[in-house]
Amino acid sequence: MKAVGARLPRYDGLAHITGRTTFVDDWPTPPGMLWAKALRSPHHSALIKSIDTSAAAKLPGVHAVVTAADMPVNMVGHLEALGVPKDEPYLAEHEVRYKGQPIAGVAADSEQIALEALELIKVVYEVRQPFLDIRKAFDPDEPQITPDGNVFFYDPHDHRKVTKGDVDAAFEKADVIVQGAYRPAAIEQAPTETQAALVVPEPDGRLTVYTCTQAMYFTMGVLSTHLQLAQNRIKLVGGTVGGGFGGKVDSATEPLCAVLTLKTNRPVKWRFTREEEFLYASVRASWHVEIADALTSDGWILGRKVMTLHDAGAYTRFSSYGATKHSFHLSGAYTIPNLRTQAYVIWSNHVPTTAMRGFGVTSASFATELQMERSAKALGMDPWEFRLKNANRKGDLMPTRKPLEDPSTIVTIQAAAQAAGVELSAGLRELTNAPRSGDSLPEHLRDQPTIAKLGDPTS
Amino acid sequence: MPAPPELLQPTSESEAIDAFGDGVGVTVVSGGTIVVPDMTYGRLRPSRVVLLTRAGMGGVTREAGVVRIGAGTPVGALDDAVEPLGSAARGVADGEIRAAGTVGGNLCAGPAQDAPRGDLQAPLIALGATVRSAGKGGERSDPIESFLGNHDGRLVLSVEFAEPAAAGYARMDRKHAHTYTMLAVSACRAADGSVRVAASGVGPFAVRLTSVEAVLAERWAPEAAAKEALVDCDPPTDALASAWYRRRMLPLLITRALEGLA
Amino acid sequence: MKLIVNGRECEVTRHGMTSLLEVLREDLGVKSPKAGCQQGGCGTCTVLVDGEPRRSCLMPVAAADGAAITTLEGLATGDALSPVQQAFHDSYASQCGYCTPGMVMAATALIERNPSPSRDDVIEALGGHICRCTGYVKILEAVESIAGSAR
Repeated sequence: MKAVGARLPRYDGLAHITGRTTFVDDWPTPPGMLWAKALRSPHHSALIKSIDTSAAAKLPGVHAVVTAADMPVNMVGHLEALGVPKDEPYLAEHEVRYKGQPIAGVAADSEQIALEALELIKVVYEVRQPFLDIRKAFDPDEPQITPDGNVFFYDPHDHRKVTKGDVDAAFEKADVIVQGAYRPAAIEQAPTETQAALVVPEPDGRLTVYTCTQAMYFTMGVLSTHLQLAQNRIKLVGGTVGGGFGGKVDSATEPLCAVLTLKTNRPVKWRFTREEEFLYASVRASWHVEIADALTSDGWILGRKVMTLHDAGAYTRFSSYGATKHSFHLSGAYTIPNLRTQAYVIWSNHVPTTAMRGFGVTSASFATELQMERSAKALGMDPWEFRLKNANRKGDLMPTRKPLEDPSTIVTIQAAAQAAGVELSAGLRELTNAPRSGDSLPEHLRDQPTIAKLGDPTS
Repeated sequence: MPAPPELLQPTSESEAIDAFGDGVGVTVVSGGTIVVPDMTYGRLRPSRVVLLTRAGMGGVTREAGVVRIGAGTPVGALDDAVEPLGSAARGVADGEIRAAGTVGGNLCAGPAQDAPRGDLQAPLIALGATVRSAGKGGERSDPIESFLGNHDGRLVLSVEFAEPAAAGYARMDRKHAHTYTMLAVSACRAADGSVRVAASGVGPFAVRLTSVEAVLAERWAPEAAAKEALVDCDPPTDALASAWYRRRMLPLLITRALEGLA
Repeated sequence: MKLIVNGRECEVTRHGMTSLLEVLREDLGVKSPKAGCQQGGCGTCTVLVDGEPRRSCLMPVAAADGAAITTLEGLATGDALSPVQQAFHDSYASQCGYCTPGMVMAATALIERNPSPSRDDVIEALGGHICRCTGYVKILEAVESIAGSAR
């Protein structure tokens, strides 16, 4: 255990500092390597009436042009194993649901030739009205993204639901009700290294895939399914990621390169341009979070109702998982015995959204902390005191009824106050996360539902 | 395969003028900061390129109060130039880009995909600069404001202006080396007392604010003058700012720039 | 055309309007300068051209004809890291490593012209270089730690 507590150099530090670290784009160019580019939809939403790649295929220097028909399996769901239905074609076939959606791929002797080839692909679109404002998710007059509408179905509900205690009674008892709507915007992960993959055909028919993925096993599974190749026929070389932050989990580049390699028997590389990365690569979703808190005039949060809309963009990807995580964090770091939260995953004609640091949770933190400020202001109470009063103690329950063993809310807030140069009162400075008792245990928390009392937590 | 362009590399100004001819079918590359990315992204496929890096067309001279700046002068060489040029130059991108991009390129820079460019245009308008150019019909000099946006078929050779008696500059942008300047105002009082005011970020090229100047010609009333700015320009909405925001900020920047002349 | 890359004379047969970045990476196998944006916006392509830091993605190779090009691969002497490299390594100024080549080249040029830069000087010199991992503080500290030390 010599390493624990010791200051060690990064294991890859020397490689970084000498320029030896090999990112996907840095692998010595294999002989005969072709460059890939994708034709992307210029429309937010359109039917595809026809695709004609013949002129592109004839361009000197072009070795292959592929469309949906060339994918052994075009539709793979990232969360199929968790029961989330697959819904996204890798290459668009009958319609496009977001601006930038890939429709066809080209492998050519150079990036410039590949770009020229894209211009020769003829696609006839029937442009449709897009659905872009998730607040109108339940408006039947808005364009419907899928045959099942715009709202993801969390069997058996159309939302992820968390219920705890009796929130209606809490709102009856409230002295003050505070409401707010919070709308964190979409954010692009913007890694300094853009997404890239290089696929090399091996003499024995296997594929070696150099990838910048953050999620080797996701990518292995996705590739294996798209290509209908057993996993032992694919070797992934990765682990060198020039920044990911959640934006390199969708396996965006590997399948196209692999299909082009299978067609041409040549190595194929696809590296996103910076523009592709910003405009068309998946982003952290935008959210719309409405919170209503039932408060007592002396600063207790009796109950909370939350309605969340999460913009999944055109396809589900990991959104149902993100919104679930979000739901479990909607009481924030505070004890709220009565909860009703509903998180809806909404499909729109935006770029499909994905993970980014704290997937699903940052939106909950953003919304709930602003709500705490708003509530403190409504009560005329110091926001530090308001937070510490309601902060989680040992044994308090999460929204999921999991008892908290040793919550750090109080020490963190005390440390934050110190760092901010805010003087807390002696009483607040001395607070610990010991369970509330005696005078500091209010009436409404005496009968907190516990796992012992409730029995089946799924009811 | 897109045929690679014919590449001409003149080694003197006169060779450059010959290579440029009347400019038809010619793409001029000076620093490369605008043309090279456009070629990389396949947005530009020139058939003939005149690359000016060896034409020796850079350099700043000062004689009897007149400053002449060669078209090949890097923007970075103007970091300490007379105001308002110095402030504008220092605000362009970062040192590496300023070392490459040139005055000539900056004058001919229209808007980027969704942001204004050409930070040196407005200061040069305010300085009352003239542009010496070559092309069809030979060499000629034009006032900068009539040259901007009309540079087709002209090869910029140099700009020239008399040092001002006083200058002012006010800029609004995000504190980051990578954003183009959202909005900026340049103002100069010439030796004869006349005042010129120009703005960048208010259109595809910088605009001379003659309505603002007209008020100041009657009396020194910066706030009243600033109100006239929107007569001369129609600020756009782009990636950096909305028209709404620019319209509100422009009079503010004008009054700030004019403080330099007080 | 000819380039002297990290002291080695190299012949270039590509078209003159090919970017220096592409020539270095594709023809000469010098991979440390990166294609982070290929429009001058990120700084990952920065190399030294006759000692001056330049965006290689913006430079037509014809404009570099005859120049001495220094990249990250050329800074160490055998196993001995340059002071800038050592400072970055010791200060943990590199996480994913993608911005590191450009940062180190810009910092190397800075230290050469200004051996004791202030923080403002460092920010001015590196301001065009994007890092998405470190939050920049360790990079600034790394460069400041070189100030005044033997070269």
